[in-house]
Amino acid sequence: MGRLASDIGGTFTDLVYFDEASGELKVEKSLTTPKDLTLGVEDTIRLAQVEPEKIDFFVHGGTTVINAITERKGAKTALVTTAGFRDVLEIARGNRPDLYNLNFEKPVPFVPRRLRFEVRERMDAAGNEVEPLTLADLDAVVERCRAENVEAVAIQLLHSYAAPAHEAACAEYLREKLPGVAITASHEITREWREYERANTAVLNAYVQPIVQRYFASLEGSLKGQGLDCPFAAMQSNGGSTSFEWAKAHPITLVESGPSAGVNGAALVGELCGEEDVIYLDIGGTTAKCSVIEGAQVQVTTEYKLEWTRINPGYPVKVPVVDIVEIGTGGGSIAWFDRVGTLKVGPVSAGSDPGPASYGQGGREPTVTDAKLLTGVLDPNYFAGGRITLDVAAAERAMQKVADGLGGTVEEAAVAVLRLADADMINALKLVSIQRGHDPRDFVLVVGGGGGAMHAATLGRELGVREIIIPLYPGYFSAWGMLATEPRRDFVQTALTRADDMTAAGVTELFAGLQAEAEEYFSAQDEVEAGQLNFEFGIDLRYLGQEHSVTVPTALDGLSVGGILHDFHIAHERAYTFRLDDTPVEFVNFRLTATARVPRPEVKPLNGDGRSEAAADKGTRSVHYGEDGRHDARILNRDLLPPGFEAEGPLVVEEPSANIIVHPGQKLRVDELGFLHIS
Amino acid sequence: MSEAAKEIDPVTLEIVRGKLLAAVDEMGIVIARTSMSPVIYEVLDFACGILDTKAQLIVQTNGITLFTGTFSFQLRAILKKFGGEMRPGDVYMINDPYEGGTHTCDMALIRPLFDGGELRAFAIAVAHWSEVGGSVAGSIAPNATEIYQEGIRFPGVRVCRDDELVADIIDLIRENVRLPTMCLGDLNAELAAVRIAEVRFQEIEQKYGNHTVDRTFDYILETSEQLSREAVAAMPDGTYKAEDLIDGDGISDEQIPVCVEVRINGERMTFDFTGTSAQRPGPINCAYGALHSAVKTVFKSLVDPQGASNEGWFRPVEIICPDGTVFTAQKPSPTGWYYEGSAHASELVWKALAEIAPDRFSAGSYMSLCGAYVYGKDPKSGEIFVHIEPAVGGWGATSKRDGTAALIATTDGDTYNYSVELFEAKFPLHIRQYALNTAEGVGEGRYRGGFGAVREFEILADEASTYASFGRTKEPPWGLQGGAEGSCNFMEIESGGETRRVARIPYHALKQGDRVRVITGGGGGYGDAFARPAQEVLEDVRNDYITPQTARDKYGVALTADGAVDAAATQSLRAGR
Repeated sequence: MGRLASDIGGTFTDLVYFDEASGELKVEKSLTTPKDLTLGVEDTIRLAQVEPEKIDFFVHGGTTVINAITERKGAKTALVTTAGFRDVLEIARGNRPDLYNLNFEKPVPFVPRRLRFEVRERMDAAGNEVEPLTLADLDAVVERCRAENVEAVAIQLLHSYAAPAHEAACAEYLREKLPGVAITASHEITREWREYERANTAVLNAYVQPIVQRYFASLEGSLKGQGLDCPFAAMQSNGGSTSFEWAKAHPITLVESGPSAGVNGAALVGELCGEEDVIYLDIGGTTAKCSVIEGAQVQVTTEYKLEWTRINPGYPVKVPVVDIVEIGTGGGSIAWFDRVGTLKVGPVSAGSDPGPASYGQGGREPTVTDAKLLTGVLDPNYFAGGRITLDVAAAERAMQKVADGLGGTVEEAAVAVLRLADADMINALKLVSIQRGHDPRDFVLVVGGGGGAMHAATLGRELGVREIIIPLYPGYFSAWGMLATEPRRDFVQTALTRADDMTAAGVTELFAGLQAEAEEYFSAQDEVEAGQLNFEFGIDLRYLGQEHSVTVPTALDGLSVGGILHDFHIAHERAYTFRLDDTPVEFVNFRLTATARVPRPEVKPLNGDGRSEAAADKGTRSVHYGEDGRHDARILNRDLLPPGFEAEGPLVVEEPSANIIVHPGQKLRVDELGFLHIS
Repeated sequence: MSEAAKEIDPVTLEIVRGKLLAAVDEMGIVIARTSMSPVIYEVLDFACGILDTKAQLIVQTNGITLFTGTFSFQLRAILKKFGGEMRPGDVYMINDPYEGGTHTCDMALIRPLFDGGELRAFAIAVAHWSEVGGSVAGSIAPNATEIYQEGIRFPGVRVCRDDELVADIIDLIRENVRLPTMCLGDLNAELAAVRIAEVRFQEIEQKYGNHTVDRTFDYILETSEQLSREAVAAMPDGTYKAEDLIDGDGISDEQIPVCVEVRINGERMTFDFTGTSAQRPGPINCAYGALHSAVKTVFKSLVDPQGASNEGWFRPVEIICPDGTVFTAQKPSPTGWYYEGSAHASELVWKALAEIAPDRFSAGSYMSLCGAYVYGKDPKSGEIFVHIEPAVGGWGATSKRDGTAALIATTDGDTYNYSVELFEAKFPLHIRQYALNTAEGVGEGRYRGGFGAVREFEILADEASTYASFGRTKEPPWGLQGGAEGSCNFMEIESGGETRRVARIPYHALKQGDRVRVITGGGGGYGDAFARPAQEVLEDVRNDYITPQTARDKYGVALTADGAVDAAATQSLRAGR
């Protein structure tokens, strides 16, 4: 039997198939088909010649949700709020992050004012009813929604994170009166406080729901049509999967499914290599993404904001999303000079069309990829396994602009572009590591994506990580990561309590409530059997008066308030350099991560047949190693390197989806699984 | 190309610059995440920077704009006092408005950064503490007449030696403020920020060396200066004037005339506030540090809003204002509500230059943060609570679009309003409404202003008090190119069946069930309202932003009974003006 993962990206639809009997891995790529995304998925299954009846698990990730939002192609959506608060969605948080811009525009809300309705009701922060719900107020709402052909309705009432009864009653009423309209009550998506953030989350869930329902229905039909008869799972943003059915009702949880699969894959690489602390880096065409895995745990946050930049407040989405820092530097990033002649790289990218100058598709601007070619890291005749011949002359012409600006040679210009790109990425890597209290020397760097492999050795050295690991098929890393996915759901409950008023029994009871919810949720997931569930508990705590909290992992066995506080003081000091032992502490949020243990693919050792140092040897090439200068590098073919192989830099290891450099002084080792280790 | 770039390769300079910026960003994250005052972590009323040994600002990260021009003055004051005796592990503290500061609540911490035995730079963090003592909780009495009523003032003291807090200073704080735990928590947050700056700075020096770091400082200042000079040179030379009225100083309602004359001459820009009213008895005054911030904020928005702030940008700027005006108040004038005064200095410059920079500036905005304190005793915990938050309001229309609704004022920045749900969990107050202020409207025009907001509190505690200082309560936001004026800010107190409208109000007692409404105005309009397409006016009616009556009276658009545009009636209304 086998497991199949399908990942739709902007340019390519990737497929990875794992044959459980032989341990063999099959990969396939096909162009993404934007008009009907299911076609690309069908293509890859056909191309990979997988026997449908052998597939016992199918997991899918893609960009349907994020594209519908980015392109503003979601459903016509209305919002129901507590009376007096319909404008909260438009007022938002009122912040102006672009603070010297006196011509600032706020992000436009996804529901216009005339579709924002109010209902009389009120709960307080303790969850008590202050004013009963006047359900009759909804009759006018129903009428307006019908008249305006509204396709989705979000409901967000104040304090519903603590007391969802009114919200639930409204949802039930509207579902009955507006059949065929997608209804989302905010507490169904998140149980954390902050009304604007919860409203926006509910609105975006409603906004994409009709589209996602149609998409999954069509994909399901297509897969069944091809003879697949197994559980279908959707990749979520939290590094875990869920059923198609649940995803259809909670589509906003899929918003970052592709990147989360990559982080998940990095955690698996760590596990296979016996490394619990991992920094993950994925360099794409326009951006680089990084994330930290600590104690074998993928870090998940509910602070995610769509379209956020340093100058744009974005749209908060309070669903669990793998904690990723994204920066605007990737392989296609263009080098340019600002008005005073300062060289910059990105955030404008040549993308895949026209792409870097060396692709020979009409690109004229110098990019990071061109710089990699001109420094000798890329072989013009062996790009994408030799399928594309890179145009060195075009790259030189483009890079000449940089050389002219700097007053040096083309090679010096290329080195300068790489140094700047690497510096940007280092700053991002430090943001997820050092600035969050981690010491990179305790970590290994795992890279995914073809671009990541090319920069890994340089970045890893500057960051000071212990080792750099390049897994198999870095170019298919997201899909590979999905294979290892487990069903997962994160539960959060805000319950503000002072430590003095908190007891171990109180904590246990709160977690028991979340655990019961989790068990109920998993009982409806058909691939999961009871008794396989795994629970991780965490509590957000803060010093009285603080706003932000620190999450402290905890266990139910031997739980004590004193022990939790002890851990909190330590965690606070590690994150922020100080502790306040005499200041009262508050419990804020209770977090439960529930995962179901399902059989995971067992990665088999690499078959050494036909592999040898001599076979892998491709001679030497002159390569510029930035600060280390130019060297004659030994070129190796990764696909022919035997397990156990060791060598010292300067090296370049080539494979169809990536080129890996090893600096002079660095050591390369191939482990028995075929992963490369650089130290 | 800058001089520095001729000596050291520009790529290295750019990389070191990026690392310095990352260091101040990290300082900001530390403060926002660990402070105890909502005004710091929600309002982001703080700033961090690194300055060179000549007290020039090299890199800065701001939560708000009010600290754009204060750091150099404050560091110079510290250097004058302690210049010869600084050593590693020292931290200095200053909150004196008359030494480059703003108001007593803004506590700046300065740490000299050493490398080996050599003084290399300074890290500075400033943040608004919720309480520093004085005549009222929160420390900024709207009717103060001397700075002595505004809490404890540190003219520049050493708060750490060898990284140990100076116990005497801590005792002094603990015994002179109403919320010592919160204050000392904020002190810790700032200390952590300047400490992390030193760690990062030393890492940079170790990797790149002192010389490269020095040249990077030069490079940062020189490139910004060059960009700034070019931007000024591209503006038409000439003299641009603006006048405005400040609505009262807290002691009296009398309007206070203020004015500016901006002179552009080649690459130089002079801001001359001569003619501005003399300093007032009340706390609306600001000192020169705040005036510099106000002018530099608008100047920065004119030449390059997104570039990272440093001293270089401001080298073409000259600010002239005689001592003793409301913008250059002298000791012991109170300055508690200085930002209500300095906001006018910003708006004067903006108004004077709006016509020559239509892509940068909108019509007038609600401008005032409309700060209202509510404080009392929490019946549940028995502890004192102090609530203060800036209010969002309407911004002016621009030459291309309607004004932005419910946005924080110029003086602030990445400032968040307080979540209703968090607020109600924290304070014995209930919020009854948070909505756009459509009742008072906005300035009409081809593009209309953005709407202000209404926030209504109900007092749940047995007793509480409020005080507030609202600006633009008589003098509305200005329109541009024939657009109408916006609407005014005000506060309403509803008690015992009686409603009072107030603006700058000292202590006022409240009891359970009383309601306080903070109402902010709408921005000014741009261009002729009759030129606004009827369809856009109809959209505003359909969204309940305006009434059919306003559509008719102000925009000359008539609607049919079923809510469509009545083209014929509209044409005759618009022709008949």
